[in-house]
Amino acid sequence: MPTPLLEARGLTKRFGALTALSGVDLDVNAGEVLALLGDNGAGKSTFIKVLAGAHAPTEGTLTIGGTPVAFASPQDAANVGIATIFQELALSENLSIAENVFLGREIVRRVAGVPFLRRREMKDVVGRLLDELDAHISDPDAPVGSLSGGQRQAVAICRALYLDARLVIMDEPTAALAVAETRKVLDLTRRLADRGCAVLLISHNIADVFEVSDRMAVFRRGRKVAERRRDATDPEEIVSLITGAHPDVRALDKQQ
Amino acid sequence: MTRLLGGREATLAAACLVAALVFAAASPVFLTPGNLLTVLRNSTELLLAALGMTLLLAMGAIDVSIGMAMGLAAIVVGQLLMAGIDPALAGIAGPLAGAALGLVAGAVVAFGKIPAIVATLGLLGVYRAGIFLTLGGAWLSGIPTGLTDLVATPVLGVPPAIVLIGLAYLAVFVLLRRTPFGPHLLAVGNSDEKARLSGIAVTRIRLMTFVVAGALAGLAATFYIATYRNVSMTIGATLPLEAIAAAVLGGTSILGGRCTLVGTVLGVILIRLMQNGLLLVGVPSLWQPVVTGAMLLIVLGLEAGAGSEGLRRLVRRPA
Ligand SMILES: Nc1ncnc2c1ncn2[C@@H]1O[C@H](COP(=O)(O)OP(=O)(O)OP(=O)(O)O)[C@@H](O)[C@H]1O
Ligand SMILES: [Mg+2]
Repeated sequence: MPTPLLEARGLTKRFGALTALSGVDLDVNAGEVLALLGDNGAGKSTFIKVLAGAHAPTEGTLTIGGTPVAFASPQDAANVGIATIFQELALSENLSIAENVFLGREIVRRVAGVPFLRRREMKDVVGRLLDELDAHISDPDAPVGSLSGGQRQAVAICRALYLDARLVIMDEPTAALAVAETRKVLDLTRRLADRGCAVLLISHNIADVFEVSDRMAVFRRGRKVAERRRDATDPEEIVSLITGAHPDVRALDKQQ
Repeated sequence: MTRLLGGREATLAAACLVAALVFAAASPVFLTPGNLLTVLRNSTELLLAALGMTLLLAMGAIDVSIGMAMGLAAIVVGQLLMAGIDPALAGIAGPLAGAALGLVAGAVVAFGKIPAIVATLGLLGVYRAGIFLTLGGAWLSGIPTGLTDLVATPVLGVPPAIVLIGLAYLAVFVLLRRTPFGPHLLAVGNSDEKARLSGIAVTRIRLMTFVVAGALAGLAATFYIATYRNVSMTIGATLPLEAIAAAVLGGTSILGGRCTLVGTVLGVILIRLMQNGLLLVGVPSLWQPVVTGAMLLIVLGLEAGAGSEGLRRLVRRPA
């Protein structure tokens, strides 16, 4: 086994008195889809927000390719090749689709030091990315505020795709998508991993997770309670790990 | 609302026209070239300050110290001229001083994490004291005419003042609509947390916007000195109200995320037309801020009544 792309060790995040994440160890490998599962409030989003530079961890370390990293901002994480689709999408409703996809990393041409936007080029790229996703969005200049939930998710996915990242994190990317669009995103997830990218996928849909992931990690009350290879588990076991009915989890719960 | 902006600008242009027709009927002086030129001349400082205010509002901030910043920059320019400095250099000192004051305001807001309205209200007090202390209760007057001659003497038939103001507008337009700064500023105005998650350096954008707005107020100071060649204790007192009113009349959201430069220009013209016309029909100038303030409140009221989502957000109590 080569070194993991990303190693999280003892990650803890406290919000005041609330411990949202507690001593999580997890590796993410290149070329692999790793699914995070767990009940509402289990700490999944908090975990990926630490990886994405949106939260500074209270304790614990992150290494990427063996080098320790400390992200001061989401920009720092993006700079080392981590692209994140946040659960709340983090799109700017007042800006156009194209502006959102390129927000913070616009294509520019410098004239006398002034970075002029290459609006045509960005529009073309977005048009192509949207086509690839079959997103049913015709006009990249439309404001994101005018889009449906599913269309917004497609925009957020385009944003992550454009970054050409080493690690793509998707926090419930298909939550607002119809069946056909969900298929597209799952295919895409698989393709990203086959291309050598690491993918971290959060989903409440067990069937989707079993279809697309190589490995699963189950979170419960801020802890990672289990980690399974897909070929070494089944949906029933995963559900019992999530709900706490599994004997391992019950033993853990009792320890606390 | 965004799609109605074109309509908003047309409405505003129509309002300017109606005001002009009413005042033309009421006063024989109103439509004379001399008077219209005066209106344009009197619009210069407000236009520059209002363009800066438009950017600040779009970014979700505000600067009520902008009038005092113009006053301080005007004192700098005036004193440099009186010290015999080359008029061109003294003129450039205006926007530089304004940019420095804008940096101060931006730093207080961005690093102090203080709401812009409160932070700049505090600065307004400090700056006003600064103006009072430097002027010592008297007027700064007897400023030489070098700068006046420089901006007013036509080059190839065009007064440099017009070219400079055109260039300032163009610079703001390019910054807002042709460089990444524009979408970044609008993203911060929409939601600073979402902007941060999108990888935008929110603090840098805040500082930059305040600096640009400050530089525009400083450029206004240069034109102020070129025109009036004195600085009184009350310099800039009504500027923030007028600049906010012009931007909001034009269609810029006081809640951030949306702005229009053409709208602001029209807002400035409407405000100055109203002030000039009312003066000509005999309304004392004391009423000018009342009229400006009333226009601001009426537009805000209409927007709220029309169901502007943003305003409902403002009215609703936080959960
Ligand atoms: N910014 C915050 N401030 C305070 N508490 C927070 C914050 N973000 C998350 N929490 C709390 O941390 C806990 C874990 O939340 P998190 O969003 O990570 O859960 P999740 O596993 O993603 O749940 P879901 O499946 O509902 O998205 C919750 O109790 C939540 O209320
Ligand atoms: Mg979540």
